[in-house]
Amino acid sequence: MCDNRCGINVFVENGSIVEITGLKEHKWNNGRLCVKGRLGVDLVNAPDRILTPLKRTESGWQEIGLEQAYDEIAEKIKTIQSRWGERAMSVWKGEALGFLTQEALYRRFIHAVGSPNYFSNDSGCYVGRWMGYAIVTGDWATQDFLYSKCAIIWASNPPYSQPNLTQSIFKGREKDGKLIVIDVRLSAIARQADEFVQILPGTDGALALGIARQLIEDDTIDHSFIDNHSVGFIEYSLYVREFTPERVEKETGVAAARVVSLAREIGGRRPKVSIYAGNGLEQHENGINNIRAIACLDGLLGNFDHQGGNFNAEKPKFRDLTLYSEKPLRHLGPIGADKYPVLYDVRQECHTMTAMDTLLTEKPYPLKGMILAGANPVLTNPNSGKVVKALKALDLFVVRDLFMTETAELADYVLPAATFLENSEFHCHPIHQTISLSKKIVSFQGCDTEFIFLKKLAEKLGKGEYFPWKDAEELNRWMLQGTGIKYEEVLAHPEGLEYAPRRYQKYKEEGLPTKSRKFEFVSEYLRDCGYSYLPEYIAPAYVRSPNPEYPFVMVTGARKVFYTHGRNRNFKRCITAIPHAEIEIHPSDAETLGIGTGDMVTVTSVVGSINIPVKVVGNSEILPGVTQVTHGWRESNINLIIPDDRNDPVDGFPLMKAVEVKIEPMVKHETENE
Amino acid sequence: MRFITMDVKKCVVCRNCEYACAFRQSGNFRREDSNIRVEYHNDVKICLPQTCLHCEDAWCLEICPAAAIVKDEDTGAIEIVSERCIGCKMCMLACPFGNIHFDKINMVSRKCNLCKGDPNCVAHCISGALQYTTVQDSCLNNREIFHRFIESILDINTE
Repeated sequence: MCDNRCGINVFVENGSIVEITGLKEHKWNNGRLCVKGRLGVDLVNAPDRILTPLKRTESGWQEIGLEQAYDEIAEKIKTIQSRWGERAMSVWKGEALGFLTQEALYRRFIHAVGSPNYFSNDSGCYVGRWMGYAIVTGDWATQDFLYSKCAIIWASNPPYSQPNLTQSIFKGREKDGKLIVIDVRLSAIARQADEFVQILPGTDGALALGIARQLIEDDTIDHSFIDNHSVGFIEYSLYVREFTPERVEKETGVAAARVVSLAREIGGRRPKVSIYAGNGLEQHENGINNIRAIACLDGLLGNFDHQGGNFNAEKPKFRDLTLYSEKPLRHLGPIGADKYPVLYDVRQECHTMTAMDTLLTEKPYPLKGMILAGANPVLTNPNSGKVVKALKALDLFVVRDLFMTETAELADYVLPAATFLENSEFHCHPIHQTISLSKKIVSFQGCDTEFIFLKKLAEKLGKGEYFPWKDAEELNRWMLQGTGIKYEEVLAHPEGLEYAPRRYQKYKEEGLPTKSRKFEFVSEYLRDCGYSYLPEYIAPAYVRSPNPEYPFVMVTGARKVFYTHGRNRNFKRCITAIPHAEIEIHPSDAETLGIGTGDMVTVTSVVGSINIPVKVVGNSEILPGVTQVTHGWRESNINLIIPDDRNDPVDGFPLMKAVEVKIEPMVKHETENE
Repeated sequence: MRFITMDVKKCVVCRNCEYACAFRQSGNFRREDSNIRVEYHNDVKICLPQTCLHCEDAWCLEICPAAAIVKDEDTGAIEIVSERCIGCKMCMLACPFGNIHFDKINMVSRKCNLCKGDPNCVAHCISGALQYTTVQDSCLNNREIFHRFIESILDINTE
């Protein structure tokens, strides 16, 4: 339901779930739960849940039996693969149904049937940050906020997106800690910041490089770490010299003196500095390098894998469900891997934006079938109009979901799915290095879990040998083989079983998990792939070459307290409280445009226009000339006007957080006055 | 006796407490149904959660002409018995903190009753700003924080 994965108690009466509360013993949420967590009750019992398979016919949706649906789908897959080749089939994993096991199972299934085309929400979210950090340090760091003396929340709003981080940030701050928030908007967490640094969208890399320059100049850096455990410091330190406080001010809008004081504050608190890099950093044309620039600060401050800093959590070594080593299919040309090889090679992600082009043009080869589970790209991928056209071009489009989403409406078959409370799967909390197993609490006739669905379908396609486990328990036991973790022991610890004690500075003995085994201020790997060796800063297009026709820069995707991406809009109580999309505008811009809260405006980009109500925010909440729209709304779907062809060259992430737009009061049509 | 403490240095005005309380009262997320209120002053970034302090000498209870306000001996909560409330609003005037509000649909006063000893607002406070604690523990906690602060500025590392 949400990737924060709190420990919860689920209460059942007469076979139905009636209440969800926080599990007091769980180290992650300590018994607390945001209102989204309680909404699990609404999710399972929702009156609009899909409980019967639906088939598209000329006269509309027709209800059919589950076995018949699976048989028909299997036959259609066989037809597609024999006519167009095995790689013409694909899967798309979303986040509405399950977690990590689900992802691995979809990767396994698609390889089992001979195609490399695994798509997911990850080619537009999370993986950019993971890659930015992994290029520098080998992994995405976990923040040790509880012991930190300086928590930096960069382009993220944990109270809404990662609620449990909030507790640890404040607990850590009690002990003379500082909270620094760097963001475009004055977010919920920024309200409590000791330092709130308001920055222009997409210019974060310049600020990070400017802080680095100042740290080096002040000599508040960890020489021992740099000398013994890093590569490329000399080249990097020469490059950052360009980023004087004055240059940084020009690029980012952050005053030169502030850049210096910020660097001194951070430098003075090293090595107990924890930096959390948020989603606001990655949906940009220079996203990866901006994130690399931030990750490089860990090399200077000596906070890397340090108590109170950013540590590399150890993960449980589950048996691998994917088939990338057993049955690699790179040679079949995974969609997008030619254009964004790093995305495929580092994360084995095919590129969803390229998929839309492939569906419409059949280039580089025809893609004809797709099984999409718990995702809603019509609302969450850029250029929604094109997404709709592309998905309609599929010969076979199967959607598994709980509800009739905007994407499910386009499907040939909509199959009922199971919620996380109808499945048993592992959850890891790297921050505590604990593992737990959620229990299957209820089940609904005909709502298979993703595992059972894939197993049955694989059997019908003659690939049953890849899914030998009879149920979730057998699968879960198999995953634990060789890990030294006992299934029964995990079951006995709903609050989380520690699989490895936390260790710091593991690199001293083991090296870092990067290519060079060292902290990489520069990347040979990226240079070999034809990209920048350094975490190079390139100013966003709206700064580099402003277009007077589109004077505003629009950020999208800030989180709201009830909604997880495109989800939960079908819950009436949420809609009563936060009823619709809105465009956040600075009071001075509102005055110039002659508009107020609640007025309708037309927002236009090069892609198109939408109409949307205005919310005039407080003076300090957003900078003049900057606007924000939260995604995920059927009405005023902002992704209708987001381009899908302005992608970061390294990870292929779409530009969603610095889009040039114009805003005009909506023209009222004559008919409205009648 | 425990009561709800509010740490203004941890509240981020996410309003999870208001929504959780509103849900407990009415099954909805209408903030006006909530017994806890969070004030936010955007210009000065002040975040102020406010809910009933369950005073030892509760003026609302004293003044109620219908004897509709009672003290729960188990939890110490000062509660309104809706069935007895005549809607005169005297309690609202008596409360020096403004922690009682009026339910215009049922024409009765509403206030926090500590959810029978497991306050829903605290269970949904994701930042840790709200705690359900005793005065003694709250005091000890503040002392502990202050102690660690002193250690920290004197750079005594006890870890």
